[in-house]
Amino acid sequence: MTLLKTYIIPRILQWALVIFIGVTLTFLIPRLSPINPVEQAVSRLTAFQTLSPEATIALRESLEDLYGLKGSLFDQYIAFWKRVLSGDLGPSFSSFPMSVNAMIANGIWWSIGLLGTAVVLSWVLGIFLGTLAGYFPNRLWTRVMESIVIVVYPVPYFIIAFTLLMLFAYYLPIFPLVGGASGTPSFSLGYFGSILRHSFLPAISVIIGATAFRFLMAKALTTSERTSDYVTYAEIAALPKRKILGVFIIRNTMLPQVTDLALSLGAIFEGALITEIVFSYPGIGSTLYNGIISADYNLIMGITLLSIIGVATASLLVDLTYPLFDPRVRLR
Amino acid sequence: MRRWRLVSALLILIFLLGACAAPQGGEGAAAPAPAAPPADAGPSQLPVNVPRNEVFVADQIFRYSVIDNYNFWVPGPHTPHRHALMMETFWYRDQETGERLYGAAISDPIYNEDYTQMDVNLRDNIYWSDGVQFTADDVVYTVELLKSNPQLSAFGWSAGFNQFLDSIEKTGDFSVRFNLKESNPRFHTFFETRWNGMYIMPKHIFEKVEDPVTYTYSDPVVLGTYRVVQSDPNGFWELFERREDWQRTPAGIVVGKPGPKYVLTIFYGDSAKKAIAMSRGELDVFFDVDFEAFQTVLKTTPTARSWYKDFPWAYPNEIDVRHLAFNLESDPIYANKDVRWALALALDIVDLQTEYIGGVAKVTVMPVPPTAPLRAMYLDPLEEWLQNLEIEIEPGVMYKPYDPTVPERIAAWAEEQGYTVPGSPREVFGTGWWKYDPDAAERLLIKNGFSRGANGKWLKPDGTPWVLEIASPPDENDAFRMANAAADMWSDFGIDVKLLGLERSVWEQNNAVGQFQVSTPWFSFVLADGDSWPQVRGWHPRFYVPNGEDSRSTGGSNITRINDPKVGEFIDAMVSAPPGSPENTEITTEFLKYWTEQMYFITPISFKKFVTWDERYWTGFPTSENPKYMPLYWFQGGKFTFQSLEPVSR
Repeated sequence: MTLLKTYIIPRILQWALVIFIGVTLTFLIPRLSPINPVEQAVSRLTAFQTLSPEATIALRESLEDLYGLKGSLFDQYIAFWKRVLSGDLGPSFSSFPMSVNAMIANGIWWSIGLLGTAVVLSWVLGIFLGTLAGYFPNRLWTRVMESIVIVVYPVPYFIIAFTLLMLFAYYLPIFPLVGGASGTPSFSLGYFGSILRHSFLPAISVIIGATAFRFLMAKALTTSERTSDYVTYAEIAALPKRKILGVFIIRNTMLPQVTDLALSLGAIFEGALITEIVFSYPGIGSTLYNGIISADYNLIMGITLLSIIGVATASLLVDLTYPLFDPRVRLR
Repeated sequence: MRRWRLVSALLILIFLLGACAAPQGGEGAAAPAPAAPPADAGPSQLPVNVPRNEVFVADQIFRYSVIDNYNFWVPGPHTPHRHALMMETFWYRDQETGERLYGAAISDPIYNEDYTQMDVNLRDNIYWSDGVQFTADDVVYTVELLKSNPQLSAFGWSAGFNQFLDSIEKTGDFSVRFNLKESNPRFHTFFETRWNGMYIMPKHIFEKVEDPVTYTYSDPVVLGTYRVVQSDPNGFWELFERREDWQRTPAGIVVGKPGPKYVLTIFYGDSAKKAIAMSRGELDVFFDVDFEAFQTVLKTTPTARSWYKDFPWAYPNEIDVRHLAFNLESDPIYANKDVRWALALALDIVDLQTEYIGGVAKVTVMPVPPTAPLRAMYLDPLEEWLQNLEIEIEPGVMYKPYDPTVPERIAAWAEEQGYTVPGSPREVFGTGWWKYDPDAAERLLIKNGFSRGANGKWLKPDGTPWVLEIASPPDENDAFRMANAAADMWSDFGIDVKLLGLERSVWEQNNAVGQFQVSTPWFSFVLADGDSWPQVRGWHPRFYVPNGEDSRSTGGSNITRINDPKVGEFIDAMVSAPPGSPENTEITTEFLKYWTEQMYFITPISFKKFVTWDERYWTGFPTSENPKYMPLYWFQGGKFTFQSLEPVSR
């Protein structure tokens, strides 16, 4: 009961407050921008032709009506919370009449699939290789791997992505250039295979950098642990190296890695804009970008809401589960 | 350790350089371009499973964000190429030839004497894709539905009908009459394309729909030759299939050819991706790329070409023109005609057109694109007037600013580069332009109280340094290059120039509220038929909004804050002059003279597009040798281009 009152409930309240403040700021900030979604829509609709001034004014009024942008800021804010609490994020202005719910649903699964897989793979791979490299620092393969990682890690992501694209879509045209899959969705092996083929290059591009980062982090943590007294003691006691590494060192290096994993997974909801653009891959990142440049308030708020909830929830889960990983963290 | 790092770094560097080297199959190629797949190859890496030699793959100029919704009467769903393939209106004005092509109508608009009624005869031999015959009922239903429902507000048809149309009546199964509220000789333009004309609805479908605003029309019944059969839920591509009864569609009847069995539109992304896609044989036409990507395409895809087979390649006749437009109220100096003239005379148009634009766009001296029909209508008749035009550069000293030799000088540059000019310089490179004469520009400025400071830079009449800001969106290639040229040349002339590359939405917003000094909008003052009023009506002083307020609030397009009663008089005079009439041409000509004398805009070049296609699988795309239709396939009138395509015979 004490645990609930003094540890869990305050953190859940903090989580709710973070979300409330984040969403309120997200509601206000786009409205402070000089870009007006109705004028953006009018510009789009008249980009190829001139309308009579009278028709332009009528179009503007019609759009304000369709977008639900009539009324004061406070009225809109109240209406927004009412909608959010009922699970309706309203219509997208830049992609009217699509609903924001549908826009997010179209993109989010691709982001979760691509980034979720890439984050988990790079996390496992980076920790595994980095820990080995940290524990066996003088082996040849360690030096080769470390040298490659040190060179790859600072290369800007978009260069890695574009390099992969050129190599495997132009010089060796073995991967597709566009989209998340071939054909229309179906529960078939063919469709599933096409998803894997389309996501391979984008995923590799993300995994390379993320693995390099986690490799360096894991190696540094392992190097630090390797020189600890308890490791020295275990080695003197002639415990097998596999046991020292697997049971003692990895457990102790995992704490910051778990936090990193949780926050990285939470950030998936922001999408991966550059990956999506370079590989013409679907996802929530380009949806958010388009929302921002066209002042699509509802879309910006919908995706940001998801992102705020994702990161805040990840932090909450880390807070709540940390004592399970680290016996030193205990409620007193 | 150090050695390993060095080796790894070298390996990765080689890897990166190899990949980043432009895919230039020819000279300097890092690797050979992929071999062209045979014409009967399978579906390759395309996202649809149809034989490659039966599908024409077109660049989809947007990634669609409104999915599975073809209700184009509601603002939102994208229309490019979709409306060319599926939708019909009465008439199509071809931008290349200036000719009217007949869609659902079989007659021209027939007005009564005072232009208060318009009759139209419709085709009696076209059918909807579900087999139902098209009749006058469809037209009456569409017009009445749009008129009664302001939320069906796309393209302003609903508002326009409420403004101008009293009623529509069916005068026969295949004829309709529009009764107008007042005399209007241009009412037919609601049904005649530049970009599009009112899309006709199938009455038998829409009359069963409860709410036409929320209806998604996801399985559209169409009058056009193609119907959509498959689409990407993420908006990257869409597959259209030709109707079995293509001979019962307007484009099928007009062209007399079936066109490809399938049309696939794909959004690949930026210029580099389009170049890669074409080299892989996965893109048959793209609507535009930047100059460098186009050069790469020529090297990596030997079967690719644009409008001209060789230099200057690009399609130059889209009806639009680029400007350096002044905000007359951003600083009082820009309200001074002499300052605007001085800035024009400080630009070297030959250098701008060749070094910055690559010699591939046409020069024009006024807001009229120099296409063959419009040159004959306005620019050629005005040549003598331009050559005799005089401005006063010093008190009592008159000066002729026009240089008719510009096209010849550009042609000479082209020949120096080893290019052959495919026609007369005026046909290929456009009109003459203003002389590059910094001395004359200097005299104009001195006449108006400007002076040079100790550092040689210009000071304004009040003695403060002249800082000129040009705002331009970098995503619009030619506009931004033109802005760069102006910035360089005006800097050389001694003005402190700041070039602001702004994200498009910010640039548009700044234009609207007057937060700029010089901007780079596009705007043609005439349509393909030579009519000017629909294009310039927004510049009437009654729509003027002062600087700092949103110029869009009155519905006008006057971002430059021109408040000139004389402009209003010209626009008023145009209202009653029927398009195509000698009276219309005469008023427009006088208006163009006045506008040019005032130098409200500096107009350097017209539009060009690297509409480029690969002749590997398909032939029959319009070219300079075969200019039957415009190659602008994303316009609604692009239907005739699709319909003209034939498979390459092997």
